[in-house]
Amino acid sequence: MWRFLSTRIAMGALTILATTVLVTLLIHAVPGDPVQIMYAQSQGTTPEQIEEVRRSLGLDRSIPVQYAMFMERLLQGDLGTTIRGGQPVLDVILQRLPNTLVLACSAMFIAIVIGIPIGFLAAYREGSLVDTGLMILAIAGISMPHFWLGLMLLFFFALELGWLPVSGNGPLNLILPALTLGLSNAAIFARLTRSSMIDVMHQDFVQTAYAKGLPKSLVLRRHVLRAGFLPVVTMMGLQFAFMMGGAIVVENIFSWNGVGRMAVEAIFQRDYPVIQGFILTFSVVVVVVAIGIDALYAVLDPRIRRA
Amino acid sequence: MSALLAVRDLSVTLRSGGEARMLAQDVSFDVARGQILSIVGESGSGKSMTAKALMGLLPPNATVSGEAWFRGANLLAKGSAPCRGTGIGLIFQEPMTALTPVLTIGTQLTEAMVVLGLADPAEARRRAIAMLDRVGIPAPDRRMRQYPHELSGGMRQRVMIAMMMLLEPEILIADEPTTALDVTVQAQILDLLRDIVRDTRIGLILITHDMGVVAETAQDVLVMKAGRTIEAGPVARIFTAPSAPYTRALLDAVPRLDRPGSSAGMVAGAAAGKTLLSAGHVSKTFHARAGLFASGLATRALDDVSLDIRQGETLALVGESGSGKSTLGRVITRLTDADHGAVTLGEENLLTLRGKSLRAARRKIQMIFQDPYASLDPRQRIGTSIAEPIAIHTTLSRAERQDRVGGLLARVGLTPEMAARYPHEFSGGQRQRIAIARALAAGPVLIVADEPTSALDVSIQAQILDLLADLKREEGLTMLFISHDLAVVRQIADRVAVMRQGRILELGPTEAVWTAARHPYTRALIDAAPVPDPTRPRGVRRPVSGDFAIGALREAALGHWVAT
Repeated sequence: MWRFLSTRIAMGALTILATTVLVTLLIHAVPGDPVQIMYAQSQGTTPEQIEEVRRSLGLDRSIPVQYAMFMERLLQGDLGTTIRGGQPVLDVILQRLPNTLVLACSAMFIAIVIGIPIGFLAAYREGSLVDTGLMILAIAGISMPHFWLGLMLLFFFALELGWLPVSGNGPLNLILPALTLGLSNAAIFARLTRSSMIDVMHQDFVQTAYAKGLPKSLVLRRHVLRAGFLPVVTMMGLQFAFMMGGAIVVENIFSWNGVGRMAVEAIFQRDYPVIQGFILTFSVVVVVVAIGIDALYAVLDPRIRRA
Repeated sequence: MSALLAVRDLSVTLRSGGEARMLAQDVSFDVARGQILSIVGESGSGKSMTAKALMGLLPPNATVSGEAWFRGANLLAKGSAPCRGTGIGLIFQEPMTALTPVLTIGTQLTEAMVVLGLADPAEARRRAIAMLDRVGIPAPDRRMRQYPHELSGGMRQRVMIAMMMLLEPEILIADEPTTALDVTVQAQILDLLRDIVRDTRIGLILITHDMGVVAETAQDVLVMKAGRTIEAGPVARIFTAPSAPYTRALLDAVPRLDRPGSSAGMVAGAAAGKTLLSAGHVSKTFHARAGLFASGLATRALDDVSLDIRQGETLALVGESGSGKSTLGRVITRLTDADHGAVTLGEENLLTLRGKSLRAARRKIQMIFQDPYASLDPRQRIGTSIAEPIAIHTTLSRAERQDRVGGLLARVGLTPEMAARYPHEFSGGQRQRIAIARALAAGPVLIVADEPTSALDVSIQAQILDLLADLKREEGLTMLFISHDLAVVRQIADRVAVMRQGRILELGPTEAVWTAARHPYTRALIDAAPVPDPTRPRGVRRPVSGDFAIGALREAALGHWVAT
């Protein structure tokens, strides 16, 4: 178990290391001089100022040296300063990251409590009208883009009915963006749970459980649910990463003050240090979640633990 | 003695896509206390459906009619509570998948006792440990905490039997309980079932396709075919004086371990043949990777194996699972690379060939696989599948290739017109014929057949073995025949090599190995195999255990080598 987890953690660290390399190269991937582009929108910048910024970002050195400088600062917890405003990037990100995590976790919660029971019910009533109806609903949910669902929810619940605020950052403001992000994922979970449970229900060991005289409810709860849950757990990890990505769109629709909205602003303003910090933070969150999911997997499936 | 279970006119109909099929029709039988009734049949005979109907485990699209009287109630009546567990227990064929992988053995053994109110958790645990001990599982305390994947197939089947016996049923249905197991383990499980019936006086319904298993265990036999009862009676009469032609055909089709095979007469000629292919000191170790950084367990699949295959002979590789027999076949066909050693065909060492010369050598050695459902491309017409090796290895024109395919199909007992059909239009036996035609298409000098009849019904198996014997006699085909089934090997092979844990323990002419096996492991294997003769004393087979000599081969008699 511990060996299994320690290899996962080592792989995660490697992934983050690879991200740091990509982040350093990123600034050169855009055609043209990055500093010129950064200051293209602001007037009255002197060539001396531009030269100064270039030196402070280390862009006058070779790429390996740039990487070494970047890593040296990173290991001291320094992600640089924003071009606009000159605040430390780390502070800006840490200030907003909790908002995004709250949003993603709420959406995950909604996806799980809605999606998994629906999938289980559909599997339980496989082939019935209930099953067909639920799966049509699920396909509709998957097909609907975030921005469209978000706008529709906004229109009905905030503008027409006036039940919930349009935008801002309070507990009530969380409901609409979390629903937007959660519902489409609920649909994905519902479909996966259904197919996974149906798969398990047809396995020999479920027949064995019935042959022992166990009641159906216990067979489902003890023998089917846990085995059928494994692929869903894998999916949760992947979906969490997608949800973090989806948060970028949703945060902008609902003006939710998270890192996603910050990133979009930074991209428009070519604020490279912020973009770099955002990508790095994102990869850390995704890797940590993935390791957590692997640990959960090992708890659920004894066959993994040995590996 | 009155019957414990009386089944009358049981019929099962399966409805799918507006079409209704009778899977079992008017099946009637009685099971008494302490009786072992065997239901025998080939695939599609309805034997498993009958068992599922009694358990109330039929799929939802199946309907059942008839009566099954047990404890004064009709099990098949609508709304009758099924007697699963405490009344009738069921054991499945595949112990690898019949236990829940995510729950401990202990949980699975005790849960039904607790839920059904037979015992409180502490008492259930105590009984479970005692039962594990009873079914012959060592260190039962420790097993309770283990998961199914930590046990071998034989152990799992014992756990399965223990699980059902803990509920103290009066009837136990065992659906092919030993089919997925090695022959020595099979013998132990059959012994265990027989002991349980003797000690507890339950009634046992043993469903099987294996006449040997029937002869070794059953008192009464019910022969089924296509859902109908063909014949029923005491085991001795069924074997000595079967009244139905189908029963007779079924018995005739069973390869007999206790009688020499048809090909035995040709041994003399084959023994004189030159060496065609020679494997020398071949070793192969598999490393199971545990992770990116961790190196896993190493398994020695082949450990310094040497043997010669002679022109025109059928050499059999016999062994249980994990013996390395399939790995040797795969090394010779270069589907797996060996770590050390050489395999020489003519002047060439096959193991060092690359590129063009490897492709040329591959033409000379063709393979037939076990499962004809998996070895043919379902999206390709069979004519295309057979023509592929011809197109690769020759310069024949399209029309000439078609001629050749037609000829090959006719040769394996099919018709040339069938070339335009797809694999799903053929039965298992026909597919294996197609696979043989494909192997012959390239004009090989050696055919490696890996368990070519194991997935087939016994009557089909007999036909395929006849075909292979014909090809050998008429075309001088040389074959490496890999099998776990000793009876099949005795029927078809000229020489036999017995393998265990990656080493050859005995190698010699088939009849010499059978009548005068010199290695104790060979003797144990032969003893363990069930023989379709109910007059043989039962339960005299000794389990295979302990260490065997695995040293270098020494010639004990002319051409008969034994590990020392």
